Amino acid sequence: MLNIKKKINNMNLIRFRFWFQIVAFALIVYGGYIGLDLGDKLPTFACVFNGEGTGGKCYVGMLQHDLKHPFETFIGYGGFAFLISLAMFAVWFWVLNKAWCGFVCPLGTMQDWLTTLREKLKIRFSEYSWASRGKIKSIKYILLILLLIIPVMISNSVLGLPKLPNGLSMPFCDICPGRMLIPAFTGNFNQFYIDFTSKTDLVMTLLGMMILGIFLVGAFVKKRFFCYFCPMAALQYIFSKPALLKLYKDGSKCTKCGDCYRACDMDILEIADDVTSKNLVTEDCTLCLKCIAACPEDGCLEANFAGKTIFESTKEGFILRMAMNNQKESHE
Amino acid sequence: MKYFAGIDIGSTAIKISIVDGKKNLLGSRISASGSMFYKYAQETLDALIGELNLNKNDILYIVATGYGRKLYKEANENISEITANAIGARAAASEFGEIKTIINIGGQDSKAISLDSDGNVVNFAMNDRCAAGTGKFLDVVALKLEIDVETLGESHFKSTGTPLSVSSTCAVFAESEIIGLLGNNHSIEDIICGVHYSIAKRIVKLVKRVGVKEGIYFDGGPALNMGLVHAIENEIGQRIFVPSNPQITTSFGAAIMAVDSYNYENS
Amino acid sequence: MSNTSHEIESPNEKQNRHKAMEAVKLLNTLREDFKSPILSMEYFYDLFERVYCKHESLHEGKTKIGTMCIQIPSEIIYALDGVPIRLCNGFYTDDEIGSDFMPQKACPLVKATVGQFASGNFTDKPDIVFSPTTCDQKTKAGATIESFGYKIYDVDFPRTKESEASREYWRRSVKQFAVELSKFQGKKLTKTNLEQAIKKIGYAQSLYHKISEFRKHEFVPILGLDVFLITNAFFFDKINNWIEATEKLVNELEQRVRNKISVSGKVSPRIVYTGSPPIFPNYKIPQIIEESDAIIVADETCSSNRMFNDMVAVDEWNIYDMMDSISDKYLKGCTCPIFTKNDDRIRRIIQLVKTYKADGVVYQAFAGCTVYEMEQRSVLEAMEKAGIPILYLESDYSPSQGGQLSTRVEAFIESLKTRRRNKK
Ligand code: SF4
Ligand code: SF4
Ligand code: SF4
Repeated sequence: MLNIKKKINNMNLIRFRFWFQIVAFALIVYGGYIGLDLGDKLPTFACVFNGEGTGGKCYVGMLQHDLKHPFETFIGYGGFAFLISLAMFAVWFWVLNKAWCGFVCPLGTMQDWLTTLREKLKIRFSEYSWASRGKIKSIKYILLILLLIIPVMISNSVLGLPKLPNGLSMPFCDICPGRMLIPAFTGNFNQFYIDFTSKTDLVMTLLGMMILGIFLVGAFVKKRFFCYFCPMAALQYIFSKPALLKLYKDGSKCTKCGDCYRACDMDILEIADDVTSKNLVTEDCTLCLKCIAACPEDGCLEANFAGKTIFESTKEGFILRMAMNNQKESHE
Repeated sequence: MKYFAGIDIGSTAIKISIVDGKKNLLGSRISASGSMFYKYAQETLDALIGELNLNKNDILYIVATGYGRKLYKEANENISEITANAIGARAAASEFGEIKTIINIGGQDSKAISLDSDGNVVNFAMNDRCAAGTGKFLDVVALKLEIDVETLGESHFKSTGTPLSVSSTCAVFAESEIIGLLGNNHSIEDIICGVHYSIAKRIVKLVKRVGVKEGIYFDGGPALNMGLVHAIENEIGQRIFVPSNPQITTSFGAAIMAVDSYNYENS
Repeated sequence: MSNTSHEIESPNEKQNRHKAMEAVKLLNTLREDFKSPILSMEYFYDLFERVYCKHESLHEGKTKIGTMCIQIPSEIIYALDGVPIRLCNGFYTDDEIGSDFMPQKACPLVKATVGQFASGNFTDKPDIVFSPTTCDQKTKAGATIESFGYKIYDVDFPRTKESEASREYWRRSVKQFAVELSKFQGKKLTKTNLEQAIKKIGYAQSLYHKISEFRKHEFVPILGLDVFLITNAFFFDKINNWIEATEKLVNELEQRVRNKISVSGKVSPRIVYTGSPPIFPNYKIPQIIEESDAIIVADETCSSNRMFNDMVAVDEWNIYDMMDSISDKYLKGCTCPIFTKNDDRIRRIIQLVKTYKADGVVYQAFAGCTVYEMEQRSVLEAMEKAGIPILYLESDYSPSQGGQLSTRVEAFIESLKTRRRNKK
């Protein structure tokens, strides 16, 4: 038992995560071909437009659909369906917490691939200043609110405003880079289009194209560029507290060395500087666990599942991961 | 003939010098002081007079100095050992040049005396509170090492390693330090060398209190120990002058004083 | 004027002899005065003897890069084929020489460093010196040393570490340092040489951490004094030799722990040592502590733990990220008292007390080391709040003064022993 624990703590997280993400990606993007169907309430971007390949479907798509009801039906059947979906979403999320982002989300994975590519090309990553980092935090909530309100406003006139055109029925999907990228992996390039049928469609599809471009360039220069703005992350965070998987910190053991912060793709300052909170799953955290792998203090950071430590920072593990354990070959 | 005597009654030895009217040193004698030093002083003086084939009545004037000077009632006069030392040292070193500083290590004290160009004492510093840095200390060391005090100097130059310093300022503790070093099989020579440097450092500190100048003169019994001389030279960074008979300088000075006083009184 | 005949030492010879005497005194104590000596410590005793008693040079033919504080990244120096020589000095001899160049009340460590430069007497003379602007005295000492004709390069060091600005500032300084050194060495910093250097130092640190691990045991297999000596050796030793010797030591300690061989007694209080750094041969206070039957199990000083504890963590093994990681390592985790406030240092001491099951803390400040003197108050307060006994001492490099200090230390240690017994 102790041995297994040690093995886990000593693991090469980057490699483990790389393969885990590939498997998860394959299941979500191609799972459909082997009959996998995880339903349509997944707390991750398993794109609906992927057609038969998809091993499950994204809840954001469902959510927009659920909300596009006139108020009357919403009070009855519509509302009920909405709550059931939301509950399903919450249950899925309850298990893995934000690790859906760090380990499963295909959009996240694709960004990580771009990061790897950039790293291979020896190009430096960019960072936000702390000030702008603080400012952009709210954008994902604004997007979330928009994607919640717009469908409602299609079927209802809110506050006496005219109803919105039907072209906006899936406002987020229109601009989601996943809609174009994920199907492309199954050879389906149909989503790369500009829709001239109406003004709304034109604007939205153009916007989608633009955002795709920004997504690709952004994720290339900035690790997890898109995740900073992701409304899914905002939605998830609401349910994060009770979830089973946790990132815990024992602040008394922390030296504030900042190693974790430097490893963090989401530039989360608190991970290093907060020495009083126990739960360190912050709003932007993707539970990628890179910080645990980068922390050299024994038992300072840990991934905890339902009260059990499953992976924790150790000096030994750190040294192994940094390949500082054997110097024989570099002895002059 | 006219002869004059200087008697230096120190804590460990009595030193007597006899000079003629021209202040030439005719002879000197040293004996242990001990408890009855008055008696010993008299005996020693008599012995010296006999040795020089003089008549007791030829000694016209006696000057006493040293700790016990006041108790030697036969003396015509007594002066402090500082003054006597200064006078004696200047006379003893006259052929070598002018001396500015005197280091004197006695049995139980050590002094540094600074002189002006006329030979007047301008400043002096003294350590008389503890045995470290005195001749007594060397005696203790020799005893512990089971060697003769006289051979300390020789051993000093045989040291090949780093001198092993003895840090305790108190002779009693230093003793146990030395026993410790011996127990760990350190070379006796390195220990001796270290002891010399420890004393030398304390002496140099003393000298610094009166000011280090060119022309340093070193006397007292321990000045016979060339190892210690070497250590002091190294610590002070310049050569020092050691008279051929360093133990009697003070009594020599007292004898010279006797000549002057006699001449003054009879002029 | 003289009638003696032997050669008189030159000032340098005298200085060397004095230093040798200081060194050998401590080395003999370490070799002889404690129970169950460790065989593989002999390498270190011998190393110090060679360098400080026999004045052997270790790095003939290599460029020696002097550093005035731990903040100058050795990784970069090794990558650029230099040998880092840390110039913090513990010799009273040099302190006395330095006194002529600095105020009477200045810190003895800085005075000793300046003193050695004033004498110009080195076994491995630094070809260039990098001086981070840490405490006032070190900062100013740089200029004094420069006036003696040495090549000094100031490396700007921020005095806060929390802000983004300080982080950026320091990163820029480190880059500038690398550029300067690379010019001086006529060598380019590459991904390969930097990565190798990081990993080598990381490995050396991992060995230190292994030693620390052993010190957590009930049977402490190694003296705190010996550990200080090992970490001090890292200031100037050939890194490969150091690694090899420490590997052997780790093996021996492993066996000692298995066989429950301890250098301390059953009631020996366990001490965490903090404050101004003990630098060879000024081990005055640690020596008093361990001679009074206590054992130092951990420390929070820049000559030992602080130098080894935090490690460079790289996310992307490319030069840009390695450089940033290196910069962060030397700033973020640093608990040096020159920073504005220092809750981190307090947290660290408490953590050390907990993990090493220490009975008390000894905090020593050099008389004249203002920053440690100033921080003493807040640390004492915090320890009191945490219920950790602490003793504060002021000391300098002079060889006297021992008696008074040891009485205080002994009394403290006895009180810890009593506490221990009463707990049982
Ligand atoms: S935050 Fe990133 S990983 Fe998480 S759902 Fe959004 S895109 Fe995916
Ligand atoms: S805080 Fe840790 S788990 Fe969360 S995103 Fe940053 S590195 Fe990953
Ligand atoms: S890596 Fe660990 S010790 Fe360092 S700041 Fe992060 S949590 Fe603290």
